[in-house]
Amino acid sequence: MRIGLYFLLLAFTILVLYPILNVVSISLRPADRLLSTSLRIIPDGATISAYRTLFLETPFLLWFFNSVVISVTVTLTGVALAATAGYSFSRFNFYGKKGALLGLLVTQMFPPTMLLLPMYIMLLKLHLINSYLGIIVIYSSTALPFCVWQMKGYYDTIPFSLEESARIDGCTRWQAFRRIVLPLAAPALVITALFSFMTAWAEYIVAAQVLQDTSLFTLPLGLKQFESSMSTQWGLYAAGSLIVSIPAVALFLFLSRWLVSGLTLGSVKG
Amino acid sequence: MRLNVLFVLLCTLAFSCAKSTLDDPHQIVIWDQMRPEERAVLNWALDKFMKENPGVKVTALYKETEELRSGYQIAAIGGGGPDLVYGPSDQVGPFEVMKIILPLETLFDKEYLSKFNPKGLVYSNGHLYQIADQIGNHLMLIYNKQLVRIPPLDTDELIRIGEKITHPPGQYGLVWNYTEPFFFIPFLTGFGGWVMDSVGNPTLDSPQMVNALSFVKDLRDKYKIIPRECDYNTADALFKEGKAGMIINGPWSISGYKKAGVDFGITRIPKVVSTGLWPGPMVSPKGYSINVSEPTWKIPLVVKLLKFLLSPESELEFTKKLDTLPTQVEAATSPLVQENQIVRDSDYQMEVGRPMPIMPELRAVWDAMRPSYQAVLGGTATPQEAAREMQEAAVQKIREMNE
Amino acid sequence: MTLETEKLKSTAFAYLLVLPAAIVMFGVVVYPFFYNLVLSFSNMSLRHFQDWSLIGVRQYIKVFSEEVFYSVFFKTVVWTVVNVVFHVVIGVLLAVILNRRLMGKGLIRTLLILPWAIPQVIVALTWRSMFNYEYGALNLAISQYMHMSPVQWLGKPLEAFSACIITNIWLGFPFMMTVALGGLQSIPHELYEAAGIDGASGWHRFWRITVPLLKPVMIPAISLGIIWTFNNVNIVWLVSNGGEPSDQTHILVSYVYKAAFNLYRYGYAAALSMVIFLILLTFSLYFLKRTRASESAY
Repeated sequence: MRIGLYFLLLAFTILVLYPILNVVSISLRPADRLLSTSLRIIPDGATISAYRTLFLETPFLLWFFNSVVISVTVTLTGVALAATAGYSFSRFNFYGKKGALLGLLVTQMFPPTMLLLPMYIMLLKLHLINSYLGIIVIYSSTALPFCVWQMKGYYDTIPFSLEESARIDGCTRWQAFRRIVLPLAAPALVITALFSFMTAWAEYIVAAQVLQDTSLFTLPLGLKQFESSMSTQWGLYAAGSLIVSIPAVALFLFLSRWLVSGLTLGSVKG
Repeated sequence: MRLNVLFVLLCTLAFSCAKSTLDDPHQIVIWDQMRPEERAVLNWALDKFMKENPGVKVTALYKETEELRSGYQIAAIGGGGPDLVYGPSDQVGPFEVMKIILPLETLFDKEYLSKFNPKGLVYSNGHLYQIADQIGNHLMLIYNKQLVRIPPLDTDELIRIGEKITHPPGQYGLVWNYTEPFFFIPFLTGFGGWVMDSVGNPTLDSPQMVNALSFVKDLRDKYKIIPRECDYNTADALFKEGKAGMIINGPWSISGYKKAGVDFGITRIPKVVSTGLWPGPMVSPKGYSINVSEPTWKIPLVVKLLKFLLSPESELEFTKKLDTLPTQVEAATSPLVQENQIVRDSDYQMEVGRPMPIMPELRAVWDAMRPSYQAVLGGTATPQEAAREMQEAAVQKIREMNE
Repeated sequence: MTLETEKLKSTAFAYLLVLPAAIVMFGVVVYPFFYNLVLSFSNMSLRHFQDWSLIGVRQYIKVFSEEVFYSVFFKTVVWTVVNVVFHVVIGVLLAVILNRRLMGKGLIRTLLILPWAIPQVIVALTWRSMFNYEYGALNLAISQYMHMSPVQWLGKPLEAFSACIITNIWLGFPFMMTVALGGLQSIPHELYEAAGIDGASGWHRFWRITVPLLKPVMIPAISLGIIWTFNNVNIVWLVSNGGEPSDQTHILVSYVYKAAFNLYRYGYAAALSMVIFLILLTFSLYFLKRTRASESAY
C-alpha cells in the first residue's frame, strides 16, 4: 500500500518536472530556440550565457526588487484585510452579509480583458498612472475575494466555544480573536499569504497598462521585454521565468511549516 | 493596530503620483515594437540626441506589436499615451480612423519630404500620418548553403530540390510558418491573386486563390517537402538546427540565423511555373506617428527629434547593425547600403513585393482567411469551398467592423 | 453591559472588520463594471471610437443571434467542468497522501507546487511544443512507448481542445492541493482514530470524515476555481495560438478578446462580457444556494 502511494507521488512528480526541465533546456540552448528536434534535457552546445546576460546586462535585478516590494505589500495587506473580514463573516450575522459575500464572488466574474479601458481611464484621472499605489490597490482587491471567503471557511471549522471560554476568562473580543483564533487559523493564513503573493508576483495585464517607466517594471513586464512577436529571445525568457519561480517556491517552503493542525478535540470540552 | 499603520502607509504612497508625460516640456516618450537588436540601436541614437540637446529626456518603451496597438488605443482615448508611436504602416489605418494620430504634412516642408523614398511616407485619405525609417518586413527565401548550394529559380526546381533533401523526420526541404495567412501571401500573388481591391473590398474568391491553396497543400501532401505541422517557432528551430534546406521568413530573423551560425543566403521566393509570376510578399515600412493629444507648444521639439531619428546617419546605423533598407534616398544610395550583400538580396526580393494595404479592413481579411485556409490544410474543406467561405467571412467581418 | 449595547458593539465591530476590504473593492471594481455596462449598450467600434452613442440592446441581439455563441458557450462549460473536476480530484488526492507521515514529503510537496510558481506563458508555450506532431514529447512517447499512432494535437479541433485542457490541468492542480492541505489541518486526528477503532475502512473514513470537514475550505476554492477557469483566456490562447485550428479552439473569453482587439468591436465585446458575467452570476447564485456556503457556522 505504501509503495503504491509512493509510486503515485513519483508519477506526479515526474509529470510536473518534465515540462519544467524543458524550460531549463530552453534557457541553456544557444541561439534562442523555443523548440528542438532532440529531446535532450541538456542541449547540444549548452551555454549559460542567457543567465549571464540576464543578470549582468538587463535590469532583471531591479525588476526583481520592484516585484518583491509590490508583492510583499500586497501579501501583508491581503492577510490583514482577509483575516479580519473573514472572521467577521464567520462569526457575525449582520445586515447585508449575504450580499457582501456574493459581492466578493461577483467581482471575479467579469472577463478581465474588457476592464482594461475603464481601469486605465480611472487611474489616469486619479494620477495613479506610473505609480505603485494603483497597482497595489488593484492587486489587493483581486486577491481579496478568495482570501476572505477562504478565511471565513476556515474560521467556520474552529469551534466558537473556544472564544467563549476565553471571554469568560476575561478577554475582549479582539484579544480572543488574536490569541485563540488566529493561531488556530494558521494554515488558512498561509494559503492567504501564498495566494496574495502569487497574484501580485505573476500579474501582467494591469501592470502593463499602468507602469510606463522601465525602472518601475515588475518581473512579468520585464520578461515581456524579451518577447517580440517573431523574435523572442527564448534563452533569456526561459532563464528569467525560472528565476522568477524561485521566490514563490521559497515562500511556500517558508510558510509550509505552519501548514499544521493546531486543533485537537481535547481543547473543546463538553 | 496593524490596519492603521497600513492605512498611513497607503496614504503616503498616494502622494507619489505622476502627471501625464505629454505635458512635460523636458520629456519625450516613444512607444515602439522594435526587436531587442533594433532597440539597442535606437537607444544609441537617443543617447546621441540627448547629448546634443541637454535638458530633454527621451525614453523609449517597448511593447509587443499587438499590445502596442491596443495599448496605444486605450491610452490615446484616455488622453494620455506617448508623444511618438513607432510601428508598421498598417497601424496607421485604424489609428487614423480612430483619430488618435496627427496629420504630419503641415509639420514637414515639401523639400524635406522629397528626400525620402515615397514608399517610406505613409498617406491615408490624403494626409501624411507616418514617416518611416526603414522599408521591408517582407518575406524572402532564405536557404542553407550547406544543403542547398544553388537556390531554386522556379517552383519546379523548388520541388525537385526539396524532394532530394527531404528525409523525415530529420530533415525537410522547405519549412515555414505556412498556417498563417501573411506567410501564404507570396504564393497567392505568385498565382496572380490579391487580397483586396483599391477601395478595400476583399477579392478572396478567385481561381488564383484556389490554385495557390492547392499548391501549398500539394507541397505538404503530394510532394511532401514541408513538415506536416509547422508553426513559426518550429520552422525557425529547424532552420537554426540545420535541418531545413530553405525557409521563408523575413528580415527580422536574419540576425538570429547569423547568431546560430547558419551559412545562409537570401533570394527571391521562386517563380511560379504555371503563371510565370514572381511571388510578391507584402512590403511595409515602419515609422513614427505623433499622438493626437500632443500639445502644440511641444511639437517643434518632437519634430526636431524626428528629423534626427530619420536622418541618413541614424538610418545607416540601423543598416550597419541590422541590414535594414533606409528610406532616405541619400542613405539608400550610399556605398554602405550598395555594398551590403544581404541588403542587396533583400532588396531583390522586395522589388517584386507589393505594398501592404494599411486599411483597417485588412485585419478583417486576415481573420477571415485564417480559419478557411487552415481548413484546407486540415482536409476539411476543398480549396474552392475555402475560397468562397473566406470571401463571405471577410465581407461579413468588414461589415461588422464598420458598423 | 446590556444586551442592546452588546449587540450594537458586535455589529459595529463586524462592519469595521469588513470595511477596509469593502472600500477597496468598491472603488476598483464598480467603475469599470458600469463603464462596461454603458459600453454594452453603445456602438463603440472602429468607426465610432471617440464619438460613440447609445443604441439600445442591439449588441445583445447580435450576441445571441450568432450561432457560434452557443457552440463556444458549450465548449466553455466543458472546459470548465473537466478542468475543475480534475483539479479538485488530483489536488485532494495528493493532499490526503501528503498529509500522512511519509519520508521526503516536504520535498515532494515543494516540487508539486512548481506548476503554480512558474510563469504561465513559458509553460504554456513549452506544452505547445510538447504537442508538436513530429517533434513533441507526447507523440514521441505515444509512438515509441505505447506503439500507437501519433495524434495531431494542434491540427484538429477536438485534439487541440484536449491539449489546452491537459495543459490547464497540469497548471491548476497545485492550487487545489495547497488549499486541501490547509483544510486537512482543521480536521482533528482523533476523529480518524476513533473511526479506526470503530472499524471504519480508509475509504469510509475519507467519505464520512474528510470530505464533509473539508467542504468549508474547499467550497470557496471550487467556486472561485470554476469562475477563474471559465474566464481563463491565457492558456487557451497560447496553446492553440489564438484559436487554431480554424477558430475552433475558443472559449467565450478568448472569443471576446478576438472580437474586441482584433476587430475593434468594443460595444459588442462589452455586451458579450456582460452576458458572460450574467451566466456566471446565475450559476453562482444557484451553487451557493445548494451548498449553503454563505451561511455562518454560528
